[in-house]
Amino acid sequence: MKDLGLFTQFLSSLSRISQIHFEIWNHEGMSFSSSSRKPTGKLSEELRELSGRVLSHPTVGGGVQQTRRGLLGVPLRNGGETVASLIAVDPSLWRSSEPMSAPPWKKPGDLKAFLKGIATLLEDRWLSLKEMEKMAEELSQQLEDIYLYSRLSTEIKTLRFSHSMLEELNQKLQELMHTDLAFAKLPDRTEYNALAVRSTISEKLPDPKCFVDTLIRAIPQTASSLKESYFVVNDSRDIPGFSRFHPDPFRFLAVMIRHEEAFYGWLGLLSFNLKEIFRRSELRLLISVAEQVAVVISNTDLYRDLEQFVINVVKSLVYAIEAKDEYTRGHSERVSHYCMEMAERLDLDEDQKRDLQWASILHDVGKIGIPEAILNKAGKLESEEYAIIKEHPRKGYHILRPLDQLAGSLPGILHHHERYDGLGYPSGLKGEEIPLNARIIAIADTFDAIHSSRAYRPAGSREQALAIVREAAGIQLDPYLVEVFFQVVSRDPTEEKHGQGT
Amino acid sequence: MIDDEAHIRRVIELKLKNRGYAVVTASNGEEGLYLIHRERPDVVISDIMMPRLDGKTLCEVTDDLKKDRSFLTIIMTCRISPEEHEWVDGMQETLFMEKPFSPARLVRSIDEYFHAQEK
Repeated sequence: MKDLGLFTQFLSSLSRISQIHFEIWNHEGMSFSSSSRKPTGKLSEELRELSGRVLSHPTVGGGVQQTRRGLLGVPLRNGGETVASLIAVDPSLWRSSEPMSAPPWKKPGDLKAFLKGIATLLEDRWLSLKEMEKMAEELSQQLEDIYLYSRLSTEIKTLRFSHSMLEELNQKLQELMHTDLAFAKLPDRTEYNALAVRSTISEKLPDPKCFVDTLIRAIPQTASSLKESYFVVNDSRDIPGFSRFHPDPFRFLAVMIRHEEAFYGWLGLLSFNLKEIFRRSELRLLISVAEQVAVVISNTDLYRDLEQFVINVVKSLVYAIEAKDEYTRGHSERVSHYCMEMAERLDLDEDQKRDLQWASILHDVGKIGIPEAILNKAGKLESEEYAIIKEHPRKGYHILRPLDQLAGSLPGILHHHERYDGLGYPSGLKGEEIPLNARIIAIADTFDAIHSSRAYRPAGSREQALAIVREAAGIQLDPYLVEVFFQVVSRDPTEEKHGQGT
Repeated sequence: MIDDEAHIRRVIELKLKNRGYAVVTASNGEEGLYLIHRERPDVVISDIMMPRLDGKTLCEVTDDLKKDRSFLTIIMTCRISPEEHEWVDGMQETLFMEKPFSPARLVRSIDEYFHAQEK
């Protein structure tokens, strides 16, 4: 019985001014007495008997029982349960077995009302303490939720969807929501699938990925909660079929990652700790996280579509330029293809790849300013004509310079005719001074130029072209990147498509 | 426990009492300063933005007391800027806790503090 401290102090002082003795008895026996003297053996027995009656029949006598004159008892209740009895004793009973004089109270009814009132007050106090504690507990839970949300929202603020974003998100979900496992499963984008597993359950769950797949497959299509985008099992033994998935009982929560009509996959949690359940607030949180993930995926798709559209528009533009020169048709796209393969080998990051892609597609855009007569000339070029051709990297650079988005691609375009030995143009840069993108483009450009026919010569074979690239390593081309290029072409299946007549 | 928000005080008080700690609360820095002198607590948890006396000043004022008797100060704040990191490094036994905070984590860090003190 908590919080009796203040109450017993109150009874002690009440006893001093009123001469009435108070005792509190619980199921074990006497727990408080306002008197320091022990009652006589007979009185002690009477007190025990009265307390026993009050505790076992708390409603008898309208809540107040009197076993003899000067001895009254009321039940003290806490949350509907009788936890103790409060007993008022005429002090003269302490001195002898029979009251010597009239008790300190005039009418027994007054004392009864007083005892009942005090019991009610105490009951109310216990109740409100309990309520308050419950409210504080709920508030504390809400603070936990807000904390959780504030920590998770930073993870999903990122605009571009990526595997690492999902990895980190799952890590946070697993830790913050105190579960054994968190997963993101995107059936059409398996490269993004992410899993965070608490290390201590690896023995219990040797193949978590497979386990998650099984559970997702087992989600009944008819489950009504799916209308609200989630499925929850708080004890696997409760759902037919679920207990056979693992010898230990577990709980499982999966929410749909979807945006408008599009369904992308599942985000979920798993735990073997059944002392806790998935709370309503956790469910809401996970649903809203999944919604945001879906929005990010959808935005990324839109962004990608848009980017692809722009790339296609630019490609069309490049085709238009290439159409001027019948010998270089498709050249830029092939160069771009080799460059991107090399970028993959070189493990460039997304931004570097993007810059290289644009630079390689647009590397010859400056040829737009070169007369067709020179581009398509069959014989050897005069030195002035050659000087005009050599202008094309700089022309391309000037054409594209106003486009901020292509700023990262400009060095690759401007310098793709530099040579490793410093004898190239337009700047005569040497070795590593030449921007990486330009060095990559130079190799792919050289190879494709030799492998395609020109106005002044027929196409070289693939072997001839490779041999020339090999010979140029360290002189015209970066020797290390030439090695990378050979790794790429040695396993390039698209080579067959590259016809001799292009 | 010093915070001008009653519900935060109540929650932390309850959580800590349930862990067996004795807790006194104050709703502003001035009152908090008085309690620190009177009660000599082992841990002071204080919000940073409060009427009368803010958490940072309170911490600076009580930093001297730690020479004679060590105690932990936990400052709760919404955003921790680099300047604040620098500031907290200059204080003795003071740490930041970001708001929104997790009551469970707060209790855990206090448990850990006492655990480390016992060693």
